[in-house]
Amino acid sequence: MVRTILALMKKEFLQVIRDSNMLRMVFLMPIVQLFLLGYVASTDVKLISTAVYDDDRSGLSREYVRSLSAGEYFITDTPEISLLEAERGFRESRYEVALIIPRGFSRKLQESKQVKIGLMVDGTNANSASIALGYANVITRQFNERVTGFSPPITLRQKRLYNPEGESVYFMVPGIVATLLTMITMLLTSMAIVREREIGTLEQLMVTPISTTALILGKTIPFALIGFLEMSVALFLGVTWFRIPFAGSWGLLYALSFLFLFTTLGTGMFISTISTTQQQAMFLTWFFAIFAIMTSGFFAPIANMPRSIQYLTYLNPLRYFMTTVRGIMMKGASLDVLYPQVMAMIIFGITIFTFSWLRFSKRVK
Amino acid sequence: MDKVGYIARKEVRHILRDPRSLMIAILIPILMTLLYGYAINLDTKNIKLAVLDFDRTVDSRELVAKFYNSGYFLEPETTPILSDPERILKSGQAHAVLIMPSGFAKAVTNFSQYELGMLIDGADANVAAATASYSRIVMGRFIEDRLPSGFELPGVRISQQVLYNSDLESSHFFVPGLIAVILMMISALLTSVTIAREKETGTMEQLLTSPVSPRQIIIGKVIPYIALALLDAVLILVFAVLHFGVPFAGSVTLLLFFGLIYIVAALSLGILISTLVATQQVAMMMAQLVTVLPSVMLSGYIFEIKNMPAVLRYVSHIVPARYFIRIIRGIMLKGSDMSVLWGEAAFLVVLTVVLLAIASKRFQLKIG
Repeated sequence: MVRTILALMKKEFLQVIRDSNMLRMVFLMPIVQLFLLGYVASTDVKLISTAVYDDDRSGLSREYVRSLSAGEYFITDTPEISLLEAERGFRESRYEVALIIPRGFSRKLQESKQVKIGLMVDGTNANSASIALGYANVITRQFNERVTGFSPPITLRQKRLYNPEGESVYFMVPGIVATLLTMITMLLTSMAIVREREIGTLEQLMVTPISTTALILGKTIPFALIGFLEMSVALFLGVTWFRIPFAGSWGLLYALSFLFLFTTLGTGMFISTISTTQQQAMFLTWFFAIFAIMTSGFFAPIANMPRSIQYLTYLNPLRYFMTTVRGIMMKGASLDVLYPQVMAMIIFGITIFTFSWLRFSKRVK
Repeated sequence: MDKVGYIARKEVRHILRDPRSLMIAILIPILMTLLYGYAINLDTKNIKLAVLDFDRTVDSRELVAKFYNSGYFLEPETTPILSDPERILKSGQAHAVLIMPSGFAKAVTNFSQYELGMLIDGADANVAAATASYSRIVMGRFIEDRLPSGFELPGVRISQQVLYNSDLESSHFFVPGLIAVILMMISALLTSVTIAREKETGTMEQLLTSPVSPRQIIIGKVIPYIALALLDAVLILVFAVLHFGVPFAGSVTLLLFFGLIYIVAALSLGILISTLVATQQVAMMMAQLVTVLPSVMLSGYIFEIKNMPAVLRYVSHIVPARYFIRIIRGIMLKGSDMSVLWGEAAFLVVLTVVLLAIASKRFQLKIG
């Protein structure tokens, strides 16, 4: 039994290694994805190009503009412009924010009165617009405290845990690790089995005295190992190149990833039972994977989705794995907080793997 | 011209005879529109906030109510165990924990010094930044409400006006961009695969020995896909407007005109890929790597180009989706016309012509 499985595994590895295109895709994909996502996937809102229309032209109004552009949030290096130009600049997307300071700005401030300024925001990108408004409000409050000397006695002290630098890449890399493992193990398993069927070698295998168990194990273990290898490559690059901190336990991460693999390998097997050509297998895998990735909280928080889709995400095993990987890597979470995720992964793993196993052995016979 | 028609008719039969592929070409765009339209929502309006209220007074409860009624914060679904605030964040039950030591009510009435604490889960930098600034805004409003009547807090007040997408709906931003991604995917993927199939099954040689020139073959093969892609574009547009309520401020004709140019660019990429590969499978993988990934990642669809490192910013200039996404967002959301879009339009046209020239050159060289 063990020898049969080893022989099958060896054959599977030889096939991957011999197909140079396949080998390249298997190793190029994770690296390309990691670098692209690592560098690009920043949802930070900064460098907001801001048009300034200053009708007051006083020292105080200029100081206000300066304090607004002091951080890296607002860029106000555009020359002062007329209101008409601001409108046009908005439509050409040259500006995202326009600031209008009315005449009398400094006089009212010096008399300790309230003064209203106008802030126009391009709402096209809803997310950055509301965050930009938030920044402007906070900066204005600070400016007020400094200039009027009046500060509210009740204050709010905030502390950011886990990623105080606010680096998007620290958040994205664990997500990429989780999606890569899902994608590659599902794809390789589903396609390898279908390929044997497509070129007719599955029948050959069936007439040999190999049990279904040996066949399934021989067809899944190699891909699990390749999945772990890809995951390790991504983790290694994440830690060495992107210098992401790793707060938790490596052992736990690998152990729980192993647990999660039952789900992806099972799904891969399931896809292989419902497709007849590699192309179909590929499309189906791709479809399953996109659905899983989109509703896992990888790009956008699940809390933002509509209720019905939020309930749907509970059926997505990747959701639990995503929380697990990010929890372990970023927050140093251990089993005492991750047990709901682990329980869900165990249930999904057992259900999906058993179901696919049964379906597969029925199909083969 | 007749010959082109024959090739086109043959291709249409191929498409109609393979209902599975046809379904993929029509159903997947709709499913993806739904999925992306709902799932990519970066609005930070639903921040889960847990509260540890040690003051337990009318005032403290009022502040908590102010947080939850602000539209930004939500109560966590499960009641967190209150003894350990860090554990609440670690387990992901809440994004932030507000800690109110006793003495809040007294401080509010006497205007004496008092400090509230807030622990924020910084893992998602975007959510953390929003949490930090929104909670300060809510605090500020609470204090202003408690000022004696007639007393006006001195200083600058912002009166804000949001243009174009004044409800700040992020689906209005993402769904139009999705058209660019899906058109690229469908056009480039289908063309590269269909040409690779002729190569793989050996029927390309048969076609070439017939009295049809390579140029006629390529035009004939591509025309049905242009129609299919345009159909997809219209479907997604209808879906975007009717289902997601995305406004359509500009001209439909202008949009479809640019859509056509963009489709030609995508098809050229598909032809180019087909000349580089021998099998359908590699064609498919390559199409994903060369067309879909850049269209999603480097086009400004989700991630802003100005935040990218310089190298990738330069690379983004040769991604057709970059220009088309700006055009489509401009036309739909802002009602822009040629007077403001001419820059993007010029780039898109030049890029399309270059891609088309390279693709047909390579096609004639490799296949003709």
